[in-house]
Amino acid sequence: MSDKMNEQVNNDEQYVEVWADLVKIKDLVLSIIISSMTTLGGYLLAPDDPPKPLIFGLIGAIVGFVISSFLIKPKRTFKYVEKEKQ
Amino acid sequence: MELDLLIQMLGAAVIGSVLYTLIGIAPGTDETAVLAPVTLVLVLAGFEPIVILTFFMSAIVAKKLTDSIPVAVAGIPGGVMSAPMVDHAMVLKQHGIPDVSIRKMASGSVLGTIIAIPMSLLLASALIPLQDVIAEYSGQIFFGGAIFLALMTKNRWLALLSIVPFAFLIQGLRQFYWEIGVVPEGKTVFISFFLGITIGPVILKLFELLIPHIRKQMPRHGTKNISLYKTEREKGFPNPFKILDIKEIGTTSLSSFLGVLTFFMSPVGMTIFLGETLTSRIKDPIKRATRAISAMDGLTNASYIAGTLIPLIAIGLPLSPTAIGPANALFKAPPVFTEDHNMHHLLSMSDFVFASVIGSVVAIALTYYVTIKYAQPICAFVFKRVPHEAMLGLFFGLVLMLAFMEAGVVNIFGVMLIGLVAGLLHRKGINYGVQFMVLYAAPWLVSLFF
Repeated sequence: MSDKMNEQVNNDEQYVEVWADLVKIKDLVLSIIISSMTTLGGYLLAPDDPPKPLIFGLIGAIVGFVISSFLIKPKRTFKYVEKEKQ
Repeated sequence: MELDLLIQMLGAAVIGSVLYTLIGIAPGTDETAVLAPVTLVLVLAGFEPIVILTFFMSAIVAKKLTDSIPVAVAGIPGGVMSAPMVDHAMVLKQHGIPDVSIRKMASGSVLGTIIAIPMSLLLASALIPLQDVIAEYSGQIFFGGAIFLALMTKNRWLALLSIVPFAFLIQGLRQFYWEIGVVPEGKTVFISFFLGITIGPVILKLFELLIPHIRKQMPRHGTKNISLYKTEREKGFPNPFKILDIKEIGTTSLSSFLGVLTFFMSPVGMTIFLGETLTSRIKDPIKRATRAISAMDGLTNASYIAGTLIPLIAIGLPLSPTAIGPANALFKAPPVFTEDHNMHHLLSMSDFVFASVIGSVVAIALTYYVTIKYAQPICAFVFKRVPHEAMLGLFFGLVLMLAFMEAGVVNIFGVMLIGLVAGLLHRKGINYGVQFMVLYAAPWLVSLFF
Protein backbone atom coordinates (compact mmCIF):
# COMPACT_ATOMS: atom_id res chain seq x y z
CA MET A 1 0.00 0.00 0.00
CA SER A 2 2.80 2.40 0.87
CA ASP A 3 3.72 3.35 -2.69
CA LYS A 4 0.07 3.99 -3.43
CA MET A 5 -0.25 6.35 -0.54
CA ASN A 6 2.49 8.65 -1.77
CA GLU A 7 4.45 8.08 1.38
CA GLN A 8 8.08 8.93 1.36
CA VAL A 9 10.38 8.29 4.21
CA ASN A 10 12.49 11.19 5.40
CA ASN A 11 15.87 10.86 7.00
CA ASP A 12 14.88 11.71 10.53
CA GLU A 13 12.55 8.82 11.21
CA GLN A 14 11.03 9.17 14.62
CA TYR A 15 7.30 8.65 14.21
CA VAL A 16 5.34 5.46 14.81
CA GLU A 17 2.04 4.46 13.30
CA VAL A 18 -0.95 4.24 15.64
CA TRP A 19 -4.35 3.61 14.09
CA ALA A 20 -3.48 4.32 10.47
CA ASP A 21 -1.64 7.61 10.91
CA LEU A 22 1.72 8.76 12.25
CA VAL A 23 2.34 10.08 15.73
CA LYS A 24 5.32 11.12 17.83
CA ILE A 25 5.24 9.20 21.09
CA LYS A 26 5.98 12.26 23.25
CA ASP A 27 3.23 14.28 21.57
CA LEU A 28 0.78 11.43 21.96
CA VAL A 29 1.50 11.19 25.68
CA LEU A 30 1.11 14.97 25.95
CA SER A 31 -2.24 15.00 24.17
CA ILE A 32 -3.55 12.07 26.21
CA ILE A 33 -2.59 13.86 29.42
CA ILE A 34 -4.20 17.12 28.26
CA SER A 35 -7.42 15.49 27.08
CA SER A 36 -7.74 13.28 30.16
CA MET A 37 -7.28 16.27 32.45
CA THR A 38 -9.73 18.55 30.66
CA THR A 39 -12.35 15.83 30.15
CA LEU A 40 -12.24 14.25 33.61
CA GLY A 41 -11.66 17.70 35.11
CA GLY A 42 -14.82 19.03 33.49
CA TYR A 43 -16.74 15.98 34.67
CA LEU A 44 -15.55 16.19 38.27
CA LEU A 45 -15.80 19.96 38.66
CA ALA A 46 -19.33 20.17 37.26
CA PRO A 47 -22.26 20.62 39.68
CA ASP A 48 -23.54 17.23 40.79
CA ASP A 49 -26.80 17.44 38.87
CA PRO A 50 -27.12 15.07 35.91
CA PRO A 51 -26.62 15.54 33.01
CA LYS A 52 -24.37 18.52 33.82
CA PRO A 53 -21.22 16.46 34.58
CA LEU A 54 -21.43 14.84 31.15
CA ILE A 55 -21.94 18.11 29.33
CA PHE A 56 -19.04 19.73 31.21
CA GLY A 57 -16.95 16.66 30.41
CA LEU A 58 -17.83 16.91 26.73
CA ILE A 59 -16.90 20.59 26.69
CA GLY A 60 -13.66 19.64 28.46
CA ALA A 61 -12.99 17.05 25.74
CA ILE A 62 -13.41 19.65 23.00
CA VAL A 63 -11.22 22.15 24.89
CA GLY A 64 -8.53 19.47 25.25
CA PHE A 65 -8.75 18.68 21.56
CA VAL A 66 -8.32 22.34 20.60
CA ILE A 67 -5.38 22.83 23.00
CA SER A 68 -3.65 19.69 21.67
CA SER A 69 -4.23 20.82 18.10
CA PHE A 70 -2.48 24.11 18.83
CA LEU A 71 0.44 22.57 20.69
CA ILE A 72 1.12 19.61 18.42
CA LYS A 73 2.14 19.75 14.80
CA PRO A 74 0.61 17.15 12.49
CA LYS A 75 3.17 14.67 11.14
CA ARG A 76 2.23 15.30 7.55
CA THR A 77 3.71 17.56 4.93
CA PHE A 78 1.90 18.20 1.75
CA LYS A 79 2.29 20.06 -1.45
CA TYR A 80 0.10 21.02 -4.35
CA VAL A 81 0.78 19.33 -7.66
CA GLU A 82 -0.36 20.96 -10.87
CA LYS A 83 -3.00 18.98 -12.68
CA GLU A 84 -1.55 17.15 -15.64
CA LYS A 85 -3.38 17.79 -18.87
CA GLN A 86 -3.85 14.72 -20.98
CA MET B 1 -44.59 19.17 15.75
CA GLU B 2 -43.56 21.94 18.10
CA LEU B 3 -41.44 24.72 16.72
CA ASP B 4 -38.95 24.41 19.56
CA LEU B 5 -38.27 20.76 18.78
CA LEU B 6 -37.97 21.49 15.08
CA ILE B 7 -35.35 24.16 15.76
CA GLN B 8 -33.42 21.72 17.96
CA MET B 9 -33.53 19.12 15.18
CA LEU B 10 -32.28 21.60 12.60
CA GLY B 11 -29.53 22.71 14.98
CA ALA B 12 -28.50 19.11 15.61
CA ALA B 13 -28.45 18.40 11.88
CA VAL B 14 -26.24 21.43 11.17
CA ILE B 15 -23.81 20.59 13.99
CA GLY B 16 -23.70 16.94 12.93
CA SER B 17 -22.92 17.80 9.31
CA VAL B 18 -20.24 20.39 10.08
CA LEU B 19 -18.50 18.24 12.69
CA TYR B 20 -18.49 15.07 10.59
CA THR B 21 -17.54 16.89 7.40
CA LEU B 22 -14.22 17.63 9.12
CA ILE B 23 -13.90 14.27 10.89
CA GLY B 24 -14.71 12.43 7.66
CA ILE B 25 -11.69 13.93 5.96
CA ALA B 26 -9.20 13.03 8.69
CA PRO B 27 -7.35 9.86 7.67
CA GLY B 28 -7.91 6.61 9.49
CA THR B 29 -11.08 7.54 11.32
CA ASP B 30 -13.03 4.38 12.02
CA GLU B 31 -16.78 4.95 11.80
CA THR B 32 -17.58 3.22 15.08
CA ALA B 33 -14.85 5.03 16.95
CA VAL B 34 -15.86 8.50 15.81
CA LEU B 35 -19.65 8.14 15.84
CA ALA B 36 -20.39 5.90 18.83
CA PRO B 37 -18.80 7.90 21.69
CA VAL B 38 -20.29 11.24 20.63
CA THR B 39 -23.76 9.77 20.09
CA LEU B 40 -23.50 8.04 23.46
CA VAL B 41 -22.70 11.25 25.28
CA LEU B 42 -25.64 12.99 23.60
CA VAL B 43 -28.01 10.18 24.61
CA LEU B 44 -26.76 10.17 28.19
CA ALA B 45 -26.97 13.95 28.34
CA GLY B 46 -30.70 13.59 27.91
CA PHE B 47 -31.41 15.18 24.53
CA GLU B 48 -34.74 14.30 22.90
CA PRO B 49 -34.49 10.97 21.04
CA ILE B 50 -35.74 12.54 17.81
CA VAL B 51 -33.05 15.24 18.02
CA ILE B 52 -30.36 12.60 18.52
CA LEU B 53 -31.59 10.57 15.57
CA THR B 54 -31.54 13.69 13.40
CA PHE B 55 -27.98 14.36 14.53
CA PHE B 56 -26.97 10.78 13.80
CA MET B 57 -28.52 10.74 10.33
CA SER B 58 -26.87 13.99 9.33
CA ALA B 59 -23.58 12.79 10.80
CA ILE B 60 -23.52 9.55 8.78
CA VAL B 61 -24.59 11.21 5.56
CA ALA B 62 -21.94 13.93 6.00
CA LYS B 63 -19.24 11.51 7.04
CA LYS B 64 -19.92 9.18 4.13
CA LEU B 65 -19.84 12.14 1.75
CA THR B 66 -16.49 13.41 2.92
CA ASP B 67 -14.54 10.30 3.80
CA SER B 68 -14.02 9.73 0.10
CA ILE B 69 -12.33 13.12 -0.40
CA PRO B 70 -8.90 12.08 0.90
CA VAL B 71 -9.18 8.94 -1.24
CA ALA B 72 -9.64 11.05 -4.34
CA VAL B 73 -7.03 13.69 -3.67
CA ALA B 74 -4.37 11.72 -1.85
CA GLY B 75 -5.19 8.01 -2.10
CA ILE B 76 -5.60 7.84 1.67
CA PRO B 77 -8.89 6.36 2.89
CA GLY B 78 -10.75 8.72 5.23
CA GLY B 79 -12.37 5.75 6.93
CA VAL B 80 -12.68 1.98 6.82
CA MET B 81 -15.61 2.22 4.42
CA SER B 82 -13.77 4.19 1.80
CA ALA B 83 -10.83 1.76 1.68
CA PRO B 84 -12.37 -0.37 -1.13
CA MET B 85 -12.46 2.70 -3.38
CA VAL B 86 -8.74 3.44 -3.19
CA ASP B 87 -7.74 1.42 -6.26
CA HIS B 88 -10.34 2.96 -8.55
CA ALA B 89 -9.71 6.48 -7.26
CA MET B 90 -5.99 5.97 -7.92
CA VAL B 91 -6.77 5.21 -11.56
CA LEU B 92 -8.47 8.59 -11.87
CA LYS B 93 -5.74 10.33 -9.94
CA GLN B 94 -3.10 8.88 -12.25
CA HIS B 95 -5.07 10.22 -15.18
CA GLY B 96 -4.94 13.62 -13.48
CA ILE B 97 -8.65 13.91 -12.80
CA PRO B 98 -9.09 13.59 -9.02
CA ASP B 99 -11.78 16.30 -9.16
CA VAL B 100 -13.88 13.93 -11.26
CA SER B 101 -13.48 11.31 -8.51
CA ILE B 102 -14.76 13.67 -5.86
CA ARG B 103 -17.76 14.72 -7.91
CA LYS B 104 -18.70 11.19 -8.89
CA MET B 105 -18.26 9.78 -5.39
CA ALA B 106 -20.19 12.58 -3.70
CA SER B 107 -22.98 12.33 -6.25
CA GLY B 108 -23.14 8.55 -5.84
CA SER B 109 -23.38 9.14 -2.12
CA VAL B 110 -26.32 11.52 -2.54
CA LEU B 111 -28.12 9.11 -4.85
CA GLY B 112 -27.56 6.25 -2.38
CA THR B 113 -29.08 8.35 0.40
CA ILE B 114 -32.12 9.35 -1.68
CA ILE B 115 -32.80 5.70 -2.50
CA ALA B 116 -32.02 4.28 0.94
CA ILE B 117 -34.27 6.42 3.12
CA PRO B 118 -37.69 5.58 1.62
CA MET B 119 -36.65 1.97 0.97
CA SER B 120 -35.43 1.44 4.53
CA LEU B 121 -38.66 2.86 5.92
CA LEU B 122 -40.69 0.51 3.70
CA LEU B 123 -38.61 -2.58 4.42
CA ALA B 124 -38.72 -1.78 8.14
CA SER B 125 -42.53 -1.59 8.11
CA ALA B 126 -42.63 -4.95 6.39
CA LEU B 127 -40.43 -6.51 9.10
CA ILE B 128 -42.34 -5.12 12.10
CA PRO B 129 -44.54 -8.26 12.55
CA LEU B 130 -41.40 -10.28 13.31
CA GLN B 131 -40.25 -8.09 16.18
CA ASP B 132 -41.72 -10.06 19.10
CA VAL B 133 -40.22 -13.35 17.98
CA ILE B 134 -36.85 -11.75 17.43
CA ALA B 135 -36.89 -9.92 20.77
CA GLU B 136 -37.70 -13.09 22.68
CA TYR B 137 -34.66 -14.92 21.34
CA SER B 138 -32.23 -11.99 21.33
CA GLY B 139 -29.53 -13.81 23.31
CA GLN B 140 -29.58 -16.72 20.88
CA ILE B 141 -29.66 -14.37 17.90
CA PHE B 142 -26.65 -12.38 19.07
CA PHE B 143 -24.77 -15.62 19.76
CA GLY B 144 -25.70 -16.81 16.27
CA GLY B 145 -24.56 -13.45 14.91
CA ALA B 146 -21.22 -13.82 16.68
CA ILE B 147 -20.75 -17.30 15.18
CA PHE B 148 -21.77 -16.10 11.72
CA LEU B 149 -19.44 -13.11 11.79
CA ALA B 150 -16.66 -15.26 13.25
CA LEU B 151 -16.96 -17.66 10.31
CA MET B 152 -16.65 -14.67 7.96
CA THR B 153 -13.30 -13.53 9.39
CA LYS B 154 -9.93 -14.60 8.10
CA ASN B 155 -8.94 -16.57 11.21
CA ARG B 156 -12.28 -18.23 11.65
CA TRP B 157 -11.31 -20.97 14.11
CA LEU B 158 -9.54 -18.56 16.41
CA ALA B 159 -12.54 -16.21 16.17
CA LEU B 160 -14.95 -19.04 17.06
CA LEU B 161 -12.80 -20.17 19.96
CA SER B 162 -12.58 -16.63 21.35
CA ILE B 163 -16.36 -16.21 21.75
CA VAL B 164 -16.90 -18.02 25.05
CA PRO B 165 -13.73 -16.82 26.86
CA PHE B 166 -14.45 -13.23 25.84
CA ALA B 167 -18.02 -13.55 27.15
CA PHE B 168 -16.56 -14.88 30.44
CA LEU B 169 -14.25 -11.88 30.72
CA ILE B 170 -17.16 -9.47 30.25
CA GLN B 171 -19.56 -11.23 32.65
CA GLY B 172 -16.73 -11.90 35.10
CA LEU B 173 -15.97 -8.20 35.43
CA ARG B 174 -19.65 -7.37 35.86
CA GLN B 175 -19.96 -10.03 38.60
CA PHE B 176 -16.87 -8.64 40.30
CA TYR B 177 -18.31 -5.11 40.30
CA TRP B 178 -21.52 -6.40 41.92
CA GLU B 179 -19.51 -8.37 44.44
CA ILE B 180 -17.43 -5.41 45.62
CA GLY B 181 -20.43 -3.11 45.46
CA VAL B 182 -19.20 -0.41 43.04
CA VAL B 183 -22.29 -1.11 40.94
CA PRO B 184 -25.67 -2.06 42.42
CA GLU B 185 -26.70 -5.68 41.71
CA GLY B 186 -28.66 -5.93 38.47
CA LYS B 187 -27.17 -2.83 36.86
CA THR B 188 -25.11 -3.95 33.87
CA VAL B 189 -21.96 -2.08 32.93
CA PHE B 190 -22.19 -1.76 29.16
CA ILE B 191 -21.16 1.59 27.67
CA SER B 192 -17.59 1.59 28.87
CA PHE B 193 -17.04 -2.04 27.84
CA PHE B 194 -18.35 -1.16 24.40
CA LEU B 195 -15.89 1.74 24.18
CA GLY B 196 -13.10 -0.40 25.59
CA ILE B 197 -13.58 -2.77 22.66
CA THR B 198 -13.71 0.16 20.25
CA ILE B 199 -10.40 1.66 21.29
CA GLY B 200 -8.86 -1.74 22.07
CA PRO B 201 -6.36 -1.57 19.19
CA VAL B 202 -5.09 1.79 20.43
CA ILE B 203 -4.85 0.62 24.05
CA LEU B 204 -2.83 -2.42 22.99
CA LYS B 205 -0.49 -0.21 20.95
CA LEU B 206 -0.04 2.22 23.86
CA PHE B 207 0.90 -0.63 26.18
CA GLU B 208 3.39 -1.90 23.63
CA LEU B 209 5.03 1.51 23.57
CA LEU B 210 5.89 0.88 27.23
CA ILE B 211 7.95 -2.19 26.36
CA PRO B 212 11.46 -1.01 25.41
CA HIS B 213 12.41 -3.77 22.98
CA ILE B 214 9.07 -3.67 21.16
CA ARG B 215 9.20 0.12 20.99
CA LYS B 216 12.67 -0.04 19.46
CA GLN B 217 11.54 -2.60 16.90
CA MET B 218 8.53 -0.59 15.74
CA PRO B 219 8.92 0.70 12.20
CA ARG B 220 9.77 4.39 12.29
CA HIS B 221 8.65 6.89 9.71
CA GLY B 222 9.45 10.44 8.71
CA THR B 223 6.62 12.87 8.06
CA LYS B 224 3.98 11.60 5.69
CA ASN B 225 4.19 13.39 2.36
CA ILE B 226 0.86 14.00 0.74
CA SER B 227 0.51 15.51 -2.73
CA LEU B 228 -2.69 17.31 -3.55
CA TYR B 229 -3.70 17.81 -7.15
CA LYS B 230 -4.99 21.25 -7.95
CA THR B 231 -8.58 21.08 -9.04
CA GLU B 232 -10.94 23.58 -10.57
CA ARG B 233 -13.82 24.98 -8.61
CA GLU B 234 -17.34 24.10 -9.64
CA LYS B 235 -19.79 26.92 -10.41
CA GLY B 236 -23.40 27.10 -9.15
CA PHE B 237 -25.17 24.53 -7.00
CA PRO B 238 -24.11 21.04 -8.09
CA ASN B 239 -26.73 18.61 -9.37
CA PRO B 240 -25.88 14.95 -8.82
CA PHE B 241 -28.06 13.86 -11.74
CA LYS B 242 -25.98 15.97 -14.13
CA ILE B 243 -22.65 14.92 -12.68
CA LEU B 244 -23.42 11.22 -13.08
CA ASP B 245 -24.19 9.87 -16.54
CA ILE B 246 -27.20 7.64 -17.13
CA LYS B 247 -25.27 4.37 -16.79
CA GLU B 248 -23.67 5.48 -13.56
CA ILE B 249 -27.07 6.46 -12.21
CA GLY B 250 -28.34 2.99 -13.14
CA THR B 251 -25.51 1.07 -11.52
CA THR B 252 -25.50 3.29 -8.44
CA SER B 253 -29.26 2.89 -7.99
CA LEU B 254 -29.00 -0.88 -8.35
CA SER B 255 -26.13 -1.19 -5.90
CA SER B 256 -27.85 1.11 -3.39
CA PHE B 257 -31.02 -0.96 -3.67
CA LEU B 258 -29.06 -4.15 -2.99
CA GLY B 259 -27.24 -2.39 -0.17
CA VAL B 260 -30.57 -1.77 1.58
CA LEU B 261 -31.70 -5.39 1.14
CA THR B 262 -28.44 -6.71 2.60
CA PHE B 263 -28.52 -4.35 5.60
CA PHE B 264 -27.56 -7.19 7.94
CA MET B 265 -24.32 -7.93 6.07
CA SER B 266 -20.95 -6.23 6.46
CA PRO B 267 -21.07 -2.95 4.48
CA VAL B 268 -17.38 -3.12 3.55
CA GLY B 269 -17.75 -6.68 2.31
CA MET B 270 -20.82 -5.85 0.23
CA THR B 271 -19.13 -2.75 -1.18
CA ILE B 272 -16.16 -4.72 -2.42
CA PHE B 273 -18.27 -7.59 -3.72
CA LEU B 274 -21.00 -5.60 -5.50
CA GLY B 275 -18.76 -2.75 -6.62
CA GLU B 276 -16.42 -5.15 -8.38
CA THR B 277 -19.13 -7.47 -9.73
CA LEU B 278 -21.21 -4.70 -11.25
CA THR B 279 -18.31 -3.05 -13.03
CA SER B 280 -15.89 -5.85 -13.92
CA ARG B 281 -17.01 -6.06 -17.55
CA ILE B 282 -16.34 -2.42 -18.45
CA LYS B 283 -13.19 -2.17 -20.59
CA ASP B 284 -12.26 1.53 -20.50
CA PRO B 285 -10.33 2.00 -17.23
CA ILE B 286 -11.59 5.54 -16.61
CA LYS B 287 -15.22 4.62 -17.22
CA ARG B 288 -14.88 1.55 -15.06
CA ALA B 289 -13.32 3.58 -12.25
CA THR B 290 -15.99 6.31 -12.28
CA ARG B 291 -18.77 3.73 -12.43
CA ALA B 292 -17.22 1.73 -9.59
CA ILE B 293 -16.63 4.63 -7.23
CA SER B 294 -20.07 6.17 -7.70
CA ALA B 295 -21.74 2.79 -7.22
CA MET B 296 -19.59 1.93 -4.20
CA ASP B 297 -20.18 5.26 -2.53
CA GLY B 298 -23.93 4.96 -3.12
CA LEU B 299 -23.88 1.49 -1.65
CA THR B 300 -21.94 2.38 1.49
CA ASN B 301 -24.41 5.17 2.18
CA ALA B 302 -27.40 2.98 1.52
CA SER B 303 -26.17 0.10 3.67
CA TYR B 304 -25.31 2.48 6.49
CA ILE B 305 -28.70 4.14 6.46
CA ALA B 306 -30.58 0.86 6.10
CA GLY B 307 -28.40 -0.80 8.74
CA THR B 308 -29.35 1.94 11.19
CA LEU B 309 -33.01 2.55 10.37
CA ILE B 310 -34.33 -0.96 9.71
CA PRO B 311 -33.27 -2.57 13.01
CA LEU B 312 -34.21 0.60 14.87
CA ILE B 313 -37.72 0.81 13.43
CA ALA B 314 -38.59 -2.84 12.99
CA ILE B 315 -36.88 -4.68 15.83
CA GLY B 316 -35.38 -2.43 18.49
CA LEU B 317 -32.29 -4.63 18.72
CA PRO B 318 -29.01 -3.82 16.93
CA LEU B 319 -29.10 -6.62 14.35
CA SER B 320 -26.82 -5.21 11.68
CA PRO B 321 -23.11 -4.32 11.64
CA THR B 322 -23.95 -0.60 11.52
CA ALA B 323 -26.45 -0.83 14.34
CA ILE B 324 -24.16 -2.81 16.58
CA GLY B 325 -21.22 -0.49 15.81
CA PRO B 326 -21.64 3.24 15.12
CA ALA B 327 -25.38 3.41 15.92
CA ASN B 328 -25.15 1.36 19.08
CA ALA B 329 -26.04 4.19 21.44
CA LEU B 330 -29.45 4.53 19.78
CA PHE B 331 -30.28 1.00 20.99
CA LYS B 332 -28.55 0.65 24.29
CA ALA B 333 -27.11 3.35 26.52
CA PRO B 334 -28.18 2.54 30.07
CA PRO B 335 -29.80 4.10 31.98
CA VAL B 336 -31.39 6.18 29.19
CA PHE B 337 -31.85 3.48 26.57
CA THR B 338 -32.14 -0.25 27.24
CA GLU B 339 -33.23 -3.20 25.14
CA ASP B 340 -36.85 -2.69 26.24
CA HIS B 341 -36.83 1.08 26.16
CA ASN B 342 -35.00 2.76 23.29
CA MET B 343 -35.72 4.75 20.17
CA HIS B 344 -37.67 1.83 18.76
CA HIS B 345 -40.18 2.18 21.60
CA LEU B 346 -40.07 5.95 21.98
CA LEU B 347 -40.38 7.21 18.41
CA SER B 348 -43.34 6.85 16.07
CA MET B 349 -43.06 6.11 12.36
CA SER B 350 -43.57 9.79 11.54
CA ASP B 351 -40.80 10.71 13.99
CA PHE B 352 -38.45 8.35 12.15
CA VAL B 353 -39.43 9.84 8.81
CA PHE B 354 -38.98 13.42 10.05
CA ALA B 355 -35.63 12.80 11.70
CA SER B 356 -34.22 10.90 8.71
CA VAL B 357 -35.42 13.44 6.18
CA ILE B 358 -34.30 16.53 8.11
CA GLY B 359 -30.95 15.00 9.02
CA SER B 360 -30.10 13.84 5.53
CA VAL B 361 -31.47 16.86 3.68
CA VAL B 362 -29.46 19.26 5.85
CA ALA B 363 -26.33 17.12 5.47
CA ILE B 364 -26.73 16.87 1.71
CA ALA B 365 -27.44 20.59 1.33
CA LEU B 366 -24.43 21.62 3.41
CA THR B 367 -21.89 18.88 2.90
CA TYR B 368 -22.56 17.99 -0.71
CA TYR B 369 -22.32 21.64 -1.71
CA VAL B 370 -19.18 22.18 0.33
CA THR B 371 -17.62 18.90 -0.85
CA ILE B 372 -18.03 19.69 -4.51
CA LYS B 373 -16.90 23.29 -4.13
CA TYR B 374 -14.26 23.32 -1.42
CA ALA B 375 -12.94 19.77 -1.16
CA GLN B 376 -9.38 20.93 -1.57
CA PRO B 377 -9.04 23.75 0.96
CA ILE B 378 -10.82 21.60 3.56
CA CYS B 379 -8.42 18.74 2.95
CA ALA B 380 -5.48 21.11 3.24
CA PHE B 381 -6.84 22.48 6.52
CA VAL B 382 -7.33 19.05 8.09
CA PHE B 383 -3.97 17.71 6.93
CA LYS B 384 -2.12 20.82 8.08
CA ARG B 385 -3.92 21.69 11.31
CA VAL B 386 -5.44 18.58 12.89
CA PRO B 387 -2.79 16.36 14.49
CA HIS B 388 -3.61 12.67 14.81
CA GLU B 389 -2.41 12.81 18.41
CA ALA B 390 -5.20 15.26 19.31
CA MET B 391 -7.84 12.91 17.92
CA LEU B 392 -6.45 9.91 19.80
CA GLY B 393 -6.32 12.06 22.95
CA LEU B 394 -9.93 13.11 22.46
CA PHE B 395 -11.21 9.52 22.28
CA PHE B 396 -9.02 8.45 25.16
CA GLY B 397 -10.43 11.27 27.31
CA LEU B 398 -14.03 10.38 26.47
CA VAL B 399 -13.51 6.70 27.25
CA LEU B 400 -11.84 7.56 30.55
CA MET B 401 -14.75 9.77 31.56
CA LEU B 402 -17.45 7.25 30.65
CA ALA B 403 -15.56 4.42 32.36
CA PHE B 404 -15.33 6.48 35.53
CA MET B 405 -18.99 7.47 35.27
CA GLU B 406 -20.25 3.89 35.04
CA ALA B 407 -18.35 2.27 37.87
CA GLY B 408 -15.69 4.56 39.31
CA VAL B 409 -11.91 4.19 39.33
CA VAL B 410 -12.05 0.37 39.40
CA ASN B 411 -13.74 0.42 36.02
CA ILE B 412 -10.94 2.46 34.44
CA PHE B 413 -8.75 -0.59 35.02
CA GLY B 414 -11.57 -2.90 33.96
CA VAL B 415 -11.94 -1.07 30.67
CA MET B 416 -8.17 -1.19 30.21
CA LEU B 417 -8.31 -4.97 30.60
CA ILE B 418 -11.19 -5.30 28.11
CA GLY B 419 -9.34 -3.00 25.73
CA LEU B 420 -6.14 -5.04 25.93
CA VAL B 421 -7.91 -8.32 25.21
CA ALA B 422 -10.11 -6.77 22.51
CA GLY B 423 -7.10 -5.11 20.90
CA LEU B 424 -5.24 -8.40 20.80
CA LEU B 425 -8.24 -10.20 19.30
CA HIS B 426 -8.65 -7.38 16.79
CA ARG B 427 -5.04 -7.68 15.73
CA LYS B 428 -5.51 -11.41 15.20
CA GLY B 429 -8.28 -10.67 12.71
CA ILE B 430 -11.33 -10.95 14.98
CA ASN B 431 -13.21 -7.84 13.98
CA TYR B 432 -15.43 -5.49 15.96
CA GLY B 433 -18.59 -7.20 14.71
CA VAL B 434 -17.76 -10.49 16.44
CA GLN B 435 -16.69 -8.76 19.65
CA PHE B 436 -19.79 -6.55 19.87
CA MET B 437 -22.07 -9.54 19.26
CA VAL B 438 -20.34 -11.33 22.14
CA LEU B 439 -20.79 -8.27 24.35
CA TYR B 440 -24.54 -8.47 23.72
CA ALA B 441 -24.76 -12.26 23.98
CA ALA B 442 -22.56 -12.53 27.10
CA PRO B 443 -25.27 -12.61 29.84
CA TRP B 444 -27.25 -15.33 28.05
CA LEU B 445 -24.19 -17.27 26.96
CA VAL B 446 -22.61 -17.37 30.42
CA SER B 447 -25.94 -18.30 32.06
CA LEU B 448 -25.90 -21.53 30.02
CA PHE B 449 -22.94 -22.78 32.03
CA PHE B 450 -24.44 -22.35 35.52
